[in-house]
Amino acid sequence: MKELDPILHSQLRLAVMSILMNVEEADFVYLKEQTESTAGNLSVQLDKLSNAGYITVTKGFVGKKTRTTCQVTEQGRKAFEEYVEALKGYLNL
Amino acid sequence: MEEKKMTERESLELITAMITRTRQRYIGDGNILLMWGYLTVIVTALVWIMLITTHNPAWNWLWFAIGVVGGIATPIMSKKSDLKSGVKSYSDKITSQIWTTVGLASVVATLFCVGFGLKGFNAWGMMFAIPLMIVPMAEIAQGIIVKEKSLIVGGAIGLCVGLFTLSLATCACSSTGSCRCS
Repeated sequence: MKELDPILHSQLRLAVMSILMNVEEADFVYLKEQTESTAGNLSVQLDKLSNAGYITVTKGFVGKKTRTTCQVTEQGRKAFEEYVEALKGYLNL
Repeated sequence: MEEKKMTERESLELITAMITRTRQRYIGDGNILLMWGYLTVIVTALVWIMLITTHNPAWNWLWFAIGVVGGIATPIMSKKSDLKSGVKSYSDKITSQIWTTVGLASVVATLFCVGFGLKGFNAWGMMFAIPLMIVPMAEIAQGIIVKEKSLIVGGAIGLCVGLFTLSLATCACSSTGSCRCS
């Protein structure tokens, strides 16, 4: 049976990817609220997803405030779909 | 939520939970739609009243007010709205593209009217097709996308009224044999 992707098989990273798969883009504050995580932890996990090429993180300014926006990449989309397929295999769905 | 390993079943439950949360659709405060709605109604009514009372086709230049006022206000309002929601969904993207298309159609229609005007023809009456038909159809499309009945019903009523008005105008033109029906 195919091994589950270790990048995705983690609670917070999987939650972030599940959200980003359903939207065009989401900002840091929205992800933090939806996943009920801490800013530090979320930041670390976003870096891991970004380094794996699963998401793009864009930092910009709105007035004087910074705004970090995340989008899933094609590679991330494919990895997520494969992860779900592998899950189905494990659960005999 | 912490970074921890999960069982396969927990993974699936987490994915389902996050999808459900994200699907709690965000319609926004509707201020942009209201602004365009009021602007279109006010300008259309104003143009119609001025044309009826003065018979001066120069009042058709007022159509530009929709594009100018709406074009300036929309980016400002949508920026605030995006910041408030923190997320941009696929329906937001499609909705934005629909209204951009309506805006471009209005610009093209205006250019045609100006072009015909330069050749000595009065084609400004055609501009009524935008608020009477194209805008209600876009409103219905948006209502279907965001599953908002008020937009679908409002758009449908607007479309019926628009078609009725255009039918009346066509009948009036046919009976007088004139194309100067603005």
